[in-house]
Amino acid sequence: MQAADWTKTGVKGEVTYSTFGCNPFQESNFPTPDRVAPDVNVERHMDVSLDLPTPDGQKIRVWTFTDPLAPTVAGRAPMHPAPLMRFREGQIVHSTLDPKKNAHTIHHHGIEPTTVNDGVGHVSFEVNARYTYQFRPSRAGTFFYHCHRNTALHFEMGMFGPMIVDPPEGPGTLFSGGPKYDVERLLVLDDMDPRWHTLEHDAGMCGLDVGLNRFDPKYFLANGVFNNRTTTDPRVVINAKLGQTILIRLLNASYSVLETTIGLPGVCHSMDGCSLGTEPWSSPLPLPANRPFTMSTAQRRDIIIRPTARGTFPVRFRFLHWVNGKVQDNGRGIVDTRIIVS
Amino acid sequence: MDRRKFLKASAVAVGAAALPAMATAQTTGGTFDLTIEAVDSEMIDGVFVFSLMFFDRSEEGRPILEVTEADIVTINVTNLDTRPHGFGIPGIPAASVASIPPGGSATVRFTAPVGGTYMYIDPTLAPLNRILGLYGAFIVHPKLGTTAAGSPTPYSRSTHTPQVAALFNALGVHKRFPGNKWVPRDVERDKLWLFSQVDPLIAARVDAGEVIPPASVVPSFLPRYFMINGLSGYDTAPHKIDASLDWSKGSGRIMPHGREGQPTLIRNMNAGLCTHSPHIHGNHIFKLSDTRADGTVVLNTSCYELDAWPMEPMARRDVLLPFEKPGDAVVWPPKEEPFPMRYVMHCHTEMSQTAGGGNYPQGMVTHWEMTGPL
Ligand SMILES: [Cu+2]
Ligand SMILES: [Cu+2]
Repeated sequence: MQAADWTKTGVKGEVTYSTFGCNPFQESNFPTPDRVAPDVNVERHMDVSLDLPTPDGQKIRVWTFTDPLAPTVAGRAPMHPAPLMRFREGQIVHSTLDPKKNAHTIHHHGIEPTTVNDGVGHVSFEVNARYTYQFRPSRAGTFFYHCHRNTALHFEMGMFGPMIVDPPEGPGTLFSGGPKYDVERLLVLDDMDPRWHTLEHDAGMCGLDVGLNRFDPKYFLANGVFNNRTTTDPRVVINAKLGQTILIRLLNASYSVLETTIGLPGVCHSMDGCSLGTEPWSSPLPLPANRPFTMSTAQRRDIIIRPTARGTFPVRFRFLHWVNGKVQDNGRGIVDTRIIVS
Repeated sequence: MDRRKFLKASAVAVGAAALPAMATAQTTGGTFDLTIEAVDSEMIDGVFVFSLMFFDRSEEGRPILEVTEADIVTINVTNLDTRPHGFGIPGIPAASVASIPPGGSATVRFTAPVGGTYMYIDPTLAPLNRILGLYGAFIVHPKLGTTAAGSPTPYSRSTHTPQVAALFNALGVHKRFPGNKWVPRDVERDKLWLFSQVDPLIAARVDAGEVIPPASVVPSFLPRYFMINGLSGYDTAPHKIDASLDWSKGSGRIMPHGREGQPTLIRNMNAGLCTHSPHIHGNHIFKLSDTRADGTVVLNTSCYELDAWPMEPMARRDVLLPFEKPGDAVVWPPKEEPFPMRYVMHCHTEMSQTAGGGNYPQGMVTHWEMTGPL
């Protein structure tokens, strides 16, 4: 491995209007500082070839991260959102990005690493070829990861995936000392503006007006499922037996204000990967049935639901415009799904 | 590229230039003299946009007005624009003037309320005059801000909740927070992020003399520039830090900066029309305050830790950046990676990261610096 030259990065290099924006620092095979032996390795490559068939009979191109270490062919294939990363609290994680083409980064959102392991080009560097991000998750909760180059575009194009940190006890417990659950459902809510999906990798970065200030989504998805199928698709619908405890991990990966209404009462036990009620300055947040609550972009909520009766209960997500507050796409920006208690 | 010129329209004739960012006006007997003026304001990409701004005698835009609870505050407002304007501070009913004619002046006099973060605006033709640029920060420091246990806070003791008191009491004591208490009246520990957006088209229509119905503003608003304290992108953080840097204003008032264990208050406000989702890297923040429907400050009964938090139009929400050791670093302090640790803060509703339709990330972004370990 080469020695680290910090002057070619945002760490010790001169930050100018250009390196801040149009020409951010980029590195290939930069040595991870303070590298130690990992407990777990994950790797991500880039894919820009995935077309999703839309409810109106079109196709929309998405970009994603793939997992070359997945044990199955299906697991290695491009998918949207990008594959889940799942770690145990306290594990030393090596998360390696090898974009293969163009520069990208991985920002592990909600993780608090050192600067070079945080994946932001203008304060460190973007990755041309292979960099291993190193961190040790210290809190159990719901996170995600995404590219941080031309982020407005790359995140919207689908370059994100969910990330869960389990407590040392493993899945089934939200965090040490926190609630246990029997049924887990991660719900990643997203919206897409098809106009954005025709743009180039570097669109707008060096001064061109490509309209990235305008976002008019036409497609609304949960877990990569378009909203015409979210009430039935098993990737979205929540099935539980009476007596079981449900954990819903919500992530707003859209550029809308996300309004959620759940037809069952629940309690929010963590937000943005941080437990509530484990220290005297915070407490869990009760969520009465059918009372809407909102989340702005990138927020996460971990909600525990203990149904007391059998039945089918609605869950509705309304995607609200960031200026006028109206439901996007003339009222069509809604994802519905269900909790079925049998 | 020459992007620094910020020309007050009224001063163009004599060639005087002013600074783009917010100035600070520490109270001198609680009296402030403000003017309302039309300016041509240069955006981060070099485009000039018609704006309206408050100035004070320092010739710098949007002065940060700082007072102490129970001060008798006098604000004289002179309207140097060609259109009528007004003045108001939501949450302080006595601080309002319904209308000031072109060339006219008005005075508000009131007793400073409890400690907290307030916004002065021109509330007339709402939201039009505000989004053209007529807003600024009004900060009230508490008369008695310590908790019963003696920990300094930015809030009047009578308004403390047990949770806010517990959090400030934990600083420097709790195993999570080795280091310092929060330090009051220190601009390095008291930052301001006043968000706004600019729609050049609406601005040009006003400049051309068009009468814009206020109710049409929200439906037609298409922002192209996104600001913190009037600054965008590269301009939102000082890139050279030395003894001459003034932390009380400009980018110095935006960028949190300190060692591990120096908790820092960040006062968030949104003068614009977009709901932002500020997201911070490196640490999570603790949410401290909100406002009631009448604009008064209310402290939280649960100080949630968040890495992204909603900022809807006219929201005022203080957060505490703990300057904790980044919790997930494997080796701390790092041996091979040099300080400062530098972490960005940006709105995650990423249309806000653009300028002029592209130019990522010359929008609503800044960063904070941790200069060393405990
Ligand atoms: Cu993020
Ligand atoms: Cu980010």
